[in-house]
Amino acid sequence: MAFMKIRTAVLTSAKRGHTHLPLQTMIDREGYPQATLALQLKELVDAGIERVGIVVAPGQAELYGEAMAAAADRVTFIEQTDPRGFGDAVLRAKAFVGDAPFVLSVGDHLFVSDDPARPCAAQLVAVAERERAPVAAVQSTHESEIGLYGTIGGVLEDRDRALFRIRKIVEKPTPTQAELELLVPGLRSGHYLCFFGMHVLTPRIFELLETAAADGKDGLALTPALDRLAETETFYAYEIAGHRYNLEERHGLLMAQMALALASPHRDEVLTRIVRLLAHTQSPVR
Amino acid sequence: MKTAVSLHPFVELIVADDDAVRDQSLFDVAEGMEAGALLDGCEALEAFWRSAESLYERVRALIFLAALHRYILPRRGLTERHGRIPYSAHDALMQRRFREAIRALREAEDDPRSNDTLASGLATAYERLALQFLADQVRLSVRSVPGNQWMFRVGHAEAYPLRLRPELRGRDGAPAPVLREATAVRMDLSHSSWSDIFFLGMDRPEFARVLNVSINLAPADGGERPRPPVEAYFRFIDRPVIRLVSIDLEAQAEVSSLAELFDFGRDYLGLLKAAVIASGLVPPGVEGSPQPLEALLERLIGPGLGFELVSNVNNIPKGSRLAVSTNLLASLVAVCMRATGQAPELTGPLPETVRRIVAARAILGEWLGGSGGGWQDSGGVWPGIKLIEGCLAEQGDAEHGVSRGKLLPRHTVFDRESIPDSARQALENSLILVHGGMAQNVGPILEMVTERYLLRSGAEWTARAESLAATDRILDALRAGDIRRLGELTTGHFFGPLTTIIPWATNAFTEALIKRAKDALGDAFWGFWMLGGMSGGGMGFIVDPSEHAAAKGTLAAILRETKRDYETALPFAMDPVVYDFSINEDGSSAAWCGAAGLPAAYYRLRLPGLLRKRVADLSGDEAADLKHVAGRIRVPGQPAPGDLAILTNLLPDEPHGTDGADAPGSLEALLAENGFDPGQHETLRRQLLAGAVGLAQNRLPGATQIEDVEDGDLIGLAGDGEELRRGREAMANGEVAVVTLAAGAGSRWTQGAGVVKALHPFARFAGRHRNFIEVHMAKSRRAAMDHGAPVPHVFTTSYLTHRPVSEWLERTGTGAGDSFVRPWVSKGRSVGLRFVPTLRDLRFAWEELPQEQLDEQAHKMRLSGRRALMRWAESVGEGSDYRDNAPLQCMHPVGHWYEVPNLLLNGTLARLLEEQPTLKTLLVHNIDCLGAAPDPAALGAHLCSGALMSVEVVPRRFEDQGGGLARIDGRVRLVEGMALPREEDEFKLRYYNTLTTWVSIDEYLAHLGLSRSDLGDAGRVRLAVRRAAARMPAYLTLKEVKKRWGRGQEDIFPVLQFERLWGDLTALPDVRAAFLRVSRARGRQLKDPAQLDAWLRDGSRDYIESIGAW
Repeated sequence: MAFMKIRTAVLTSAKRGHTHLPLQTMIDREGYPQATLALQLKELVDAGIERVGIVVAPGQAELYGEAMAAAADRVTFIEQTDPRGFGDAVLRAKAFVGDAPFVLSVGDHLFVSDDPARPCAAQLVAVAERERAPVAAVQSTHESEIGLYGTIGGVLEDRDRALFRIRKIVEKPTPTQAELELLVPGLRSGHYLCFFGMHVLTPRIFELLETAAADGKDGLALTPALDRLAETETFYAYEIAGHRYNLEERHGLLMAQMALALASPHRDEVLTRIVRLLAHTQSPVR
Repeated sequence: MKTAVSLHPFVELIVADDDAVRDQSLFDVAEGMEAGALLDGCEALEAFWRSAESLYERVRALIFLAALHRYILPRRGLTERHGRIPYSAHDALMQRRFREAIRALREAEDDPRSNDTLASGLATAYERLALQFLADQVRLSVRSVPGNQWMFRVGHAEAYPLRLRPELRGRDGAPAPVLREATAVRMDLSHSSWSDIFFLGMDRPEFARVLNVSINLAPADGGERPRPPVEAYFRFIDRPVIRLVSIDLEAQAEVSSLAELFDFGRDYLGLLKAAVIASGLVPPGVEGSPQPLEALLERLIGPGLGFELVSNVNNIPKGSRLAVSTNLLASLVAVCMRATGQAPELTGPLPETVRRIVAARAILGEWLGGSGGGWQDSGGVWPGIKLIEGCLAEQGDAEHGVSRGKLLPRHTVFDRESIPDSARQALENSLILVHGGMAQNVGPILEMVTERYLLRSGAEWTARAESLAATDRILDALRAGDIRRLGELTTGHFFGPLTTIIPWATNAFTEALIKRAKDALGDAFWGFWMLGGMSGGGMGFIVDPSEHAAAKGTLAAILRETKRDYETALPFAMDPVVYDFSINEDGSSAAWCGAAGLPAAYYRLRLPGLLRKRVADLSGDEAADLKHVAGRIRVPGQPAPGDLAILTNLLPDEPHGTDGADAPGSLEALLAENGFDPGQHETLRRQLLAGAVGLAQNRLPGATQIEDVEDGDLIGLAGDGEELRRGREAMANGEVAVVTLAAGAGSRWTQGAGVVKALHPFARFAGRHRNFIEVHMAKSRRAAMDHGAPVPHVFTTSYLTHRPVSEWLERTGTGAGDSFVRPWVSKGRSVGLRFVPTLRDLRFAWEELPQEQLDEQAHKMRLSGRRALMRWAESVGEGSDYRDNAPLQCMHPVGHWYEVPNLLLNGTLARLLEEQPTLKTLLVHNIDCLGAAPDPAALGAHLCSGALMSVEVVPRRFEDQGGGLARIDGRVRLVEGMALPREEDEFKLRYYNTLTTWVSIDEYLAHLGLSRSDLGDAGRVRLAVRRAAARMPAYLTLKEVKKRWGRGQEDIFPVLQFERLWGDLTALPDVRAAFLRVSRARGRQLKDPAQLDAWLRDGSRDYIESIGAW
C-alpha cells in the first residue's frame, strides 16, 4: 500500500466508567473553556485530519454531541457494543478507516506540545508521512511508571529526528523485564520509551487484530498486535516534543490543566497563584 | 597489554597469548631461576599488578607475589633475616586497606624479600588484596546483571515500580489465596574440581562445567515419598507489615520498618529478608532511607496492606552440600517475582529467562546476607539433569572487557533423547544419598582452589584437566545408563583429581565410611561420590540396584557406627541421615494452594501468638487463620488426633535433663566431679559485676615499659658441642618425659564445637590420617629409639577431653607393648563455669580491641549479630551463669598454668617418678605445636642454662599474634597479647612464644616449696599449688561457644571465662627462665584448620613426618 497523506483518525473513548472524561471542561492555552473532547479533536484537526472515527460505548454518542464543538462535522461515532479490550475497540474502526494509514489516539489522554505551533499529532503525522511507515509516538518514561504503559525496545535510527526502530513491544512491563528486553541505548539510566497514546498505523493492524481475535481469547489487546507488526515490518517510534497527561489517574485532570495553563501566555499569572497557594496551604498530618 | 619490551618470565606467564606458556606452574618456572632473577621477578610483578588493566591479570600477579613470599623465597633460603611487622601495616590489614599494608611493608626497615617476618606479612597482604579484587568483581557483576540494576536505583517510594498481582487478593471478602513455590535442590555429579567458583568461570569459562541434577528428597526411614525439599509461600495480609515466617527454623517476625528488614543478623529470618530485598519487593536501593516501609507497601499493594512470606525446608539439615539455602533463597525470590508480575505466569514452571534472573537474584541475596555459593547452586530452579557451563562474555554483556566469562553460566537441560528415562531410573535405583552429619565451613577450601588455579602448580593443574575430562566420561556413563561405570568414575574422581587438588576435601571419617561400606557391601558397592565442596556432610554411595534397599540399611548402620567413632574428634552437627530421592523434572514450580494451603507446621508455629491476642485485635487474615485451625480440629462427633499436634505448642515443653539437676551427666554433677570451686566462682562474679575484673583489666598498667629483647637474651641451639653431648646423655639416661597439653577446648580449631582437638585426624602421615596424639607420640618414639631409653608421654586432659582421650587410647591400643613410648593421661583437677558476658566487656571486645574489618555486607551482618547478642546478654542477665547449653559447653578449662600442678595433684608425676626415677626434665608443650620433640640439642641448652624452665621461642611471622617475648620493666619474660597495655606494643616484639618449655622437675618442685618426697602428701601438694596459683594473674577472656539446635543449626554465643596461663610463670622473680631460639619448623603451631594448607605446602608436614617414628 502506498503511503499517502494522512487524513483519517480514530479516537478511542469506549472505556466503561469514564464516559464523563470527554465532557470535562478545561481552559485551553488561549484561556477559553473547552470540553476535553473538543481539545482532542482540535489536536487532530490541526494535524490535517479530515475524518475522525470515535469509538464509543453504546449510548455515548448522544452525550458527546455538544462537546465536539467546531469539529462535529468531521466526526463519525463507531459503537463498541461489548467491552472486549482496546484491540477490539480499534478493530471496530476497520470499515471506517478503509485502506489508508490513520492516526490512532486514545481518548483518556491529553497531549501538550512543547511547541504550540507544532501540536503533538502534527509532529507524528509529519514523521509518518516522511518515513512512509507506521510510527508510534513515544515518551521517555521513568521505570517507576512503565507498569502503566506499552513500552518499546529498539534501536536509535536517527538522534536528530528522535526516531527509533522498534524491535519489541511489551504491555505494562515490570522494570525487571524492561531491563532485560527493552533497554534503548541513548536514554537516561532507568528510562524507557513508552507509548504516548498516539500512533500512525496502516490497515495491516486490522489483519493482525483479526488473526489474534481468531484465537478466541477473552479480550483483545492492541499491544501484542503492535509487537507482531514490529516483527513483520518497519515500525518506528518517534519521541514527541511534548507530554501526555493521563486524565484517568488520580489528579490526572488537574495535572493536564496545569500543563495547559503553564504552556499558555498566562504562565506567569498561573505560577504566581500556585506559589500563593503553596504558601497558604499546609501538608496534612499523616 | 603486550609490549615489545622483554618481560620477566613471571609476567610472561600472566600475559602470554599462548595457553602453553600461561598454564605453566609458577613453582616450576621459579625452580630454575637464580636468586637475583627471583628477586627481580618480585619487583616486576609488583610493578605489573599496579598497572595491569585486566582484573584477572592483576589478581594472578598478586597471587604469584603471595606464593613467592610465602613459599618460594623462604624455601630458597632467601629470607634469612627477621624483624618486626610495622604496626601501620598490621593496622591497614585489619582495616582491609591492603594496598596501604603492602606499601608499609615494602617501606619497612628491611627488604621484605630477604626478611622472613616482613615476607610473611606481604604474602598475607597480597593474597587478601587478590581475594578482595575477586569478591568486588563478583559483587559488581551481580549488580550489573540486567534485571537487577533497577533495584539499586530505586531510592524512594515515589519511584517504586512494582505492583502486586490482583489475583493474589481475596475475592469478595474471602481470605487471600496462598501461592506456593516448590523447588528442587541440586546435587552435582561433577563440578570439574570446584569450577563453579565464580572467579574460575569468569576467568576461564571453558573450564567451568558442572553436571547438575535437580532432586526431590525424603528421609529414608520416614515412609514419605520424595518431594521438592524447599518451599516458599506468599500471601497478601491485611496489615501494613511484612510477615516473615521460617517454618523449619521456627522463627517469625512482623517487619514494620526498613531498618528492621535490612537488619539480617537480628534473628533467624535473614534469608527471607534477603529474598524480599533481592526480589525487588523492597529494593536494595532503599536501604538506609528514612521513609516508612508502609509507604512502599502502599505502592505495592495498597493502603493498610502487607504480605506474608513463608519458607519451609522439608527435613534437610544444614551442611547437606545440596545447596539448600541457595535454592530456598531462589524459591523465595521466585514466588515474590511471580507475585509482582516479574515472572509472566503465577503458576507452573518458570520460563528460562526468569530462571536466569531468579538465579542472579539468589546470588544477590547471598551477597546481601554476607554469604556466597557457587554459580551452579541454584540448579534446583532448573528441571532434571543439566550441564551448566561458563560462557564467554560478548559485546553488550556487563562483563565484556572486564572478564573473559560471564557471571551467569549457561544451563543446558538434557532431554529424554540425550539421557533416556531408563538411565534416569537406573541412577535413582543405584544412588543412595546420605548426610554424614559433619558441619564444616567450605569457605577456606574455595580460597585454596582459587589460589591453586592461579598458580597452576604441576600435579594440581594436571588434576584439573583430568577432572574436566572426567566430567565428560561421567556424562557418557549417565547417558548410557551405565551406573556401575559412573560409580567407578566418581570414586576415581574423588580419590584422584579432587583430593590431589585439595587434600582437605577428604577426611578420616569419609575414608572410614567408604572402607566400611566397601567391606560390608562387597561387589554391591559400585562407588562413592562427593557432593559439593567437601566430604563429610552430603555424600552419595552408588550400589548394585538389586541390593539398594538392603544397602540403605547397611549404610545407615555404618554411618551411625563411624560417627560414634569420630564424634569426639571431628565436628558433627547432627546424626547421619540416609535419604530417598527422585529426579525433579519441574525445577521450581508454583501452584495455588488455597487460603488453607499453608502446612500444619505453620499453624503450630503461629497459633500460640494468635491465641494470646484479644479477638478484637486480630486482623482479618489472623482471624481467618484461627478459624481454619478450628476447622481442622473440630470434626463434629469425632476428634482429629493428627491435627491435635497443632495444640502442642501451647503446652510447656519438658525441660532438658528431666532426670533432675544432680543426675549423672548434669551440669551440677559434672561441676562437682571436676573440682569446680563455687566460692571462687562467686568471688569472681562479684569482681566482674563491680568492674574489678574484666577484659580491660587484663592489661598491664599503662606505665609499664615494654621493650624488645636483645639477641643476647636468647640461647641458640648448637648443632654440636657440650650442650648436644649433655642433651644426648640425658636422653640416653631416660631423664626426659613429654607432657602434651590436651585439656583445652581448642576453640579456634573446632570453632567452639566442643570436640577434642587432640583426636582430630587432621592430616596423613605414613599413609593414613593421624591425630595430634599419634603425631606427638611418633616424635617421642623416634627420640626414644634414637637414644635407647624410654620417653614417657603424658597427655593432660580436662572434663572435656579426658573420657574421649582415654577411650581412644584404650580402643586403639596406642602405645600398648611399645617399649619406647608409653602414653599417660593426667586428668585435670580444676574447672570453671562460664558467665554470660557483661555489656561492658562485650563493648570492650568489639569496640576497643582491634577488630578485623570485614567485607561490606559481612560487616553489616556482624554488627547486626552483635546487637542481637547484646540484647541476649542483657535479657539473660550480665554476669549470670551460662547454663543454657549442653553441660560441657557451659564449663571451661581454667588455663594451662594448672596442667603441670595437676600432675602433682592427681599423682601422675609421683607415679612417673616411681616408674622411671631417672626422670629429671619435662618437655611441656601445647597440642598444636607439632614440631615440639625431645630434641637433645634443645634439652642440652636447657640443662646448660641451669634454669628452672627454658621456653622455646621463634622469630615472629605475621600470623603469630597474641603476645611474645619481651623485656618488661627490665625483666625478660613472656607476655600475653591481652596483657599488653597498647595494641602496638606487640609489634615491637620480634620473638613469639611457642609455649614449648623444658622444665627441671626438682627446681620446679622447689619453686612450689616441695620436693620429690612430698609428692605422696596430697594435702601438702594441694596447699602448695593453691599458694602458687594465688601468685599468678587470672585473665578474663571472651570465648565463642556453639549451641546446636534444630536440624544441624548452630548459634555462636560469646561467653566469659577466666584462665591462668603457663607463660606468666616467667614473670615471677624467683623463677629462673631461659629462652631458646628454635627453628620455625620446630616452633610452628597449628591453631586453625585454615592454616593446614599453607602448613602442608611450605614443607612443615614433611618435616614432621621426617622426625617421627611411625
